[in-house]
Amino acid sequence: MAENSGTDPAVETNTEENAAASATIIKVTVKTPKDKEEIAIAEDSSVAQFKEEISKRFKANQDQLVLIFAGKILKDGDTLGQHGIKDGLTVHLVIKTAQKTSGGGSSQTSASSGPGPSQGNTDGSANSSPAGNLGTPQGSAPSLTPTQPPNMLAGFGDLSGLANLGMGSANFMELQQQMQRQLMSNPEMLSQIMENPLVQSMMSNPDLMRQMIVANPQMQQLMERNPEISHMLNNPELMRQTMELARNPAMMQEMMRNQDRALSNLESIPGGYNALRRMYTDIQEPMFSAAREQFGNNPFSALGGNTDNSGAQPSRIENREPLPNPWGPPDTAAATTTSGTATTTSSTTSSTTPSVSNPLGISSSSLGNGMFNSPGMQSLMQQISENPQLMQNMLSAPYMRTMMQSLAQNPDIASQVARPSFPKQQLMQQMLQMFAGGNASTPTPEVRFQQQLEQLSAMGFINREANLQALIATGSFGDEIWKSYSAISSRLPL
Amino acid sequence: MHRLLTCFWILAGVKVPRNFRLLEELEEGQKGVGDGTVSWGLEDDEDMTLTRWTGMIIGPARTNYENRIYSLKVECGPKYPEVPPTVRFVTKISMNGINNSNGMVDARSIPILAKWQNSYSIKVVLQELRRLMMSKENMKLPQPPEGQTYSN
Repeated sequence: MAENSGTDPAVETNTEENAAASATIIKVTVKTPKDKEEIAIAEDSSVAQFKEEISKRFKANQDQLVLIFAGKILKDGDTLGQHGIKDGLTVHLVIKTAQKTSGGGSSQTSASSGPGPSQGNTDGSANSSPAGNLGTPQGSAPSLTPTQPPNMLAGFGDLSGLANLGMGSANFMELQQQMQRQLMSNPEMLSQIMENPLVQSMMSNPDLMRQMIVANPQMQQLMERNPEISHMLNNPELMRQTMELARNPAMMQEMMRNQDRALSNLESIPGGYNALRRMYTDIQEPMFSAAREQFGNNPFSALGGNTDNSGAQPSRIENREPLPNPWGPPDTAAATTTSGTATTTSSTTSSTTPSVSNPLGISSSSLGNGMFNSPGMQSLMQQISENPQLMQNMLSAPYMRTMMQSLAQNPDIASQVARPSFPKQQLMQQMLQMFAGGNASTPTPEVRFQQQLEQLSAMGFINREANLQALIATGSFGDEIWKSYSAISSRLPL
Repeated sequence: MHRLLTCFWILAGVKVPRNFRLLEELEEGQKGVGDGTVSWGLEDDEDMTLTRWTGMIIGPARTNYENRIYSLKVECGPKYPEVPPTVRFVTKISMNGINNSNGMVDARSIPILAKWQNSYSIKVVLQELRRLMMSKENMKLPQPPEGQTYSN
């Protein structure tokens, strides 16, 4: 990086120098225990170059500088990018007042016993790389950007963005706790948890899922008691199938129906019903209690109470077919037929028996009501809607789209969203924006979105301008969503 | 079957808080939240489980730890934040509650580890250790030469 002067500490000059030499200038805060300065530096600078700038600003010898970022000491030979140092982040600085060299090791930090990290003492250190040898693994780790933490956590790629927020007064833990509290007081939410796109995103990664599940101590207990469970979990094919199904609601509906049909057949086999019940008791119950423990409450029993279940329900079995239906009854309700599984398919009545297709016995109406009208949930949603970035981050993962599609296909949710009691407009906008993930390359938006605009206003979003904006941001993915919504709204009694 | 998986999902959903939490801490570590005397981050950026962290404590002034940079390893297990992390000094240090031969922080001797709450965090642990460096019982302890590390 060419420098025209080593004596001008002005930021502007530095910026010019840097700009002449390289790409992006970032502003990094350098913090000592006593002091704090913002330094502009080229994004691709080396640590040594960064230290040069810092030594000017802090009036300290470069050799005295020890830079720390995210718990690691930055070596001169590293680059800022290697450590993930980006615009707006903070690097910690220790200015060593070298008065004696420590014994041992050639690459140690110069020792200091002066009255504090004061500036500008002469450097008596013998080494030229002030990076202390503290035994931590450093250096050539791939850079970790603040918004893309470990890439394996693909699902959390967005969540790191989430973690980034200071959403009003609540941080994540609080939110999560809130949600759990809501769950406890409002059993229908349980199914919503399943539908939670965040949870769904995790589902899409079978390995991650398995890891997490297995890591859960209660699961571990369960697995010990019921080896079938671990068998299931360890069967990648099965998991994969399940994930596939989770993504594809149509397929799922189909399989649900098939399963229900099969179940009703099973019932008629002598002893078959008992077998089913037994399996249910053996396996389902412990799972439920484990889940219950997790939530510190008894949402499931409330769910059970939700139903007409008087013990004569034949369909709560577990079999080997991967057929989860997190979208529960609304899908089956919305399906054109229930294909002859009238006895076991979840009905659309307000009190729905737990069935294969409706694992938690959630009825469609209570589903909707439960989720959106509970005050905790609403406040959560409000917080989310107030912070569009959150939603954006949440949903910019690719597989999110399929999840949201499924959600969109849930007519109950759509109807809830459209209900006037909800801060829908904002939310809709943001939801659409999220879906887009910023893909806004649509020509003639007005024309293109004519239909959607009409539908939006039919649903009650009368701010055409805002709608348009949202739709523009939506892009092609939005079309898919809109197809779903149109399908739904044509069915809705709005 | 799918009900089982449903339950799996729910249970897994409960795992989310741990990771949310750790991601939050990751962000904070990069933003330099706090007064600049402690720093923390993932030991390995590819650590998918967000388990192993490195921490740094800058020794407080007017103590025998002054101006030294202490490197630590912090491990957040699967039950974190319900249980405290395990903490270990990498840089040699002489301090009450720290094992002299391997740098392990004795959870019973450090108040916040002993009485852990899930609202505590890696930052809190590091700050607390730093605070303890300033305590009368620690601040004057003779320290090993700077830059030495524990062999493990």
